[in-house]
Amino acid sequence: MRRILMSLAALVALAFATAQDDPLKVAFIYVGPVGDYGFSYAHDLGRQATQEHFGDAIETVYVEDVPEPEVEAFIDQLVADGADVIFGTSFGYGDGILAAAQRYPDVIFGWGTGISRAPNVLTYMADFYQVYYLNGLIAAALSESGDLGYVAAFPIAEVKRHINGFTLGAREVNPDAEVAVRWLYNWFDPAGATEASEALMANGADVLAFTEDTPTVIQVAADRGYPGFSHYASMVEFAPDHVASGQLVHWDTIYIDILEKVLDGTYTTTNLEDVDYFWLLEQGAVELGSEPGVPVAEPFVDDLREVVIDHPEFGEIDVYELVLERRDQMAQGRDVFEPFMGPLEDRNGNLVYEDGYMPTLEDLLSMEFAVPGVVGPWDNEPQ
Amino acid sequence: MDVDLALVLTTLARALAFSTPLLWAALGEIVVERAGVVNLGVEGMMILGALAGFVVAQSSGDPWLGLAAATAAGVAAAAVHGLLAVVLRANQYVSGLALTIFGLGLTGLIGRGWVGRPLRNPMEFVDLPLLASVPLLGPAFFQGQYVLSWLGLLAAVVLWFVLHHTRLGLVVRSVGENPAAADAAGVRVLWVRFLAVTFGGAMAGVAGGFLSLAYRPSWGQGMTNGLGWIALALAIFALWDPLRAIFAALLFGALFTLSFSLQEFFAPQLLTMMPYLFTILALAITAVRKGAGAFGAPEALGEPYARGRR
Repeated sequence: MRRILMSLAALVALAFATAQDDPLKVAFIYVGPVGDYGFSYAHDLGRQATQEHFGDAIETVYVEDVPEPEVEAFIDQLVADGADVIFGTSFGYGDGILAAAQRYPDVIFGWGTGISRAPNVLTYMADFYQVYYLNGLIAAALSESGDLGYVAAFPIAEVKRHINGFTLGAREVNPDAEVAVRWLYNWFDPAGATEASEALMANGADVLAFTEDTPTVIQVAADRGYPGFSHYASMVEFAPDHVASGQLVHWDTIYIDILEKVLDGTYTTTNLEDVDYFWLLEQGAVELGSEPGVPVAEPFVDDLREVVIDHPEFGEIDVYELVLERRDQMAQGRDVFEPFMGPLEDRNGNLVYEDGYMPTLEDLLSMEFAVPGVVGPWDNEPQ
Repeated sequence: MDVDLALVLTTLARALAFSTPLLWAALGEIVVERAGVVNLGVEGMMILGALAGFVVAQSSGDPWLGLAAATAAGVAAAAVHGLLAVVLRANQYVSGLALTIFGLGLTGLIGRGWVGRPLRNPMEFVDLPLLASVPLLGPAFFQGQYVLSWLGLLAAVVLWFVLHHTRLGLVVRSVGENPAAADAAGVRVLWVRFLAVTFGGAMAGVAGGFLSLAYRPSWGQGMTNGLGWIALALAIFALWDPLRAIFAALLFGALFTLSFSLQEFFAPQLLTMMPYLFTILALAITAVRKGAGAFGAPEALGEPYARGRR
């Protein structure tokens, strides 16, 4: 009897061992170096947390600094190395991923920030517009002049959505606040970001926000004593006393959810055509904070508490409380609070969303208008 | 029209700050090209200087030590070009381009561990005593600037004097205009050219160091982002004259900063393409007026020299 039990145990152990010997191979392709303290760094933090979550059930590898036109060659190599799931993190990888997905029908692909899918290609995105709205509340409360500055990479829907969210937040605290926007037409341009920030501050802006891939803006603002916001990952180190809050991402929430569904067989190489993650505060994919766990940096909490406004929904409330209230509302779901809820007019006075209209995902992904309070050029603006 | 004085002063102040790396690198290239050598490796030498400067300044805590390292890195990189293009008479354009590609690649590789951290002890804005309180000029150029910006202006004046009013300058120019004649007069052409190339490397190294130690006190892969190419255009636009380079650099700097402050009125691309447009114009004008002499590219620019050969 004892012998049978022992051999049974050995069998079970062997079964586990085989399972462990054959983990799901997951590869990540990054567009920048993992040390960029921005987009690719955040993805790699997500990869590490994902690996930790699954332990031996998956095996992750990554390649960094992969130029967008060359992504197919890297996919070929990763598939040759046995990758079962491949995540390409950049919008510009789209053509390469979709082409490779046809060549490798047995591999599951994830296209980060992507827009089109295939039976074995899903898309995923952690979007910041709600967090930018919260940063807007904070920025308006910290600004003496009511003039806020925004350094933006490209006039595309994603960035426009960020700027609009930020501006709506700012105007909720200060109805006269204005957000001046300067475009870099570049994701990476340290000199341009420097001069854009300087130009904004010379024009009176005393709080700066940004969507681009360097910590330049907070460094330049701090040189003049003005606050800024972390982007993707904590940038507190770049300006220790001048990062008020920011938008942080947790890609691992998305990666873990996808891989769980791959492991349990929900996602296969034939049914991903309609799988699109657009994750927000509600799913914990993004976070408000200068660094993880710190929604508003300590020195700025008192500044926000000192600003008390008469709010149509909450009555007398200080801005620190307002920020947390709004954050918690959005964490419960878009139906509890949505910054872009109709009625919404653009800055030219057109009604873009009717009273009570809840903008769809499609609306958000194709946002071209500018809300009132946005100042500056705006390509492809509907008249 | 109501001229906004504040905008003019800020534009000038930012133009000086932004144009500092352009001026340093362009002054170096002016000397190199005056000696008859083209070095398209400015971008590569700059980025090597930026990384070397950052690494040494971050490790030692002293940005000026970092600047020395940046200069040395520029010299070392330029020496490679000097060896290939001057001594071995390889194609100058290919060698320079290779240097740029090599510099960008190597710094990307070595710089990995240094990305994402701010420089702990950067060069700060300072006011220049006395001159800072001069009306208009003070706020435009002498308040809240980097020391290297003023040293760049000074270097331009000194270089102009040396090139045009000293025997050394005559020697440098002679190997760029007519190396055979200079050789016949006893000038060691290859040595002069080699040293000019390394001097250009030192200046490009300073330009790179300025970026990572003062202007953007951090290391980012590819952080020169094309400034080296603008510096090359600047050397030509200034018609190889250090004094004109000051005004050309300030003009390029003003156009760049105005492309942001005037974004509401002009498409920024309109202003940022101006430097290149001006350079093309300058080249065209030079070509047309070449017959008039005095005014133009060094005669032997880009031609390797070997005694007794043409």
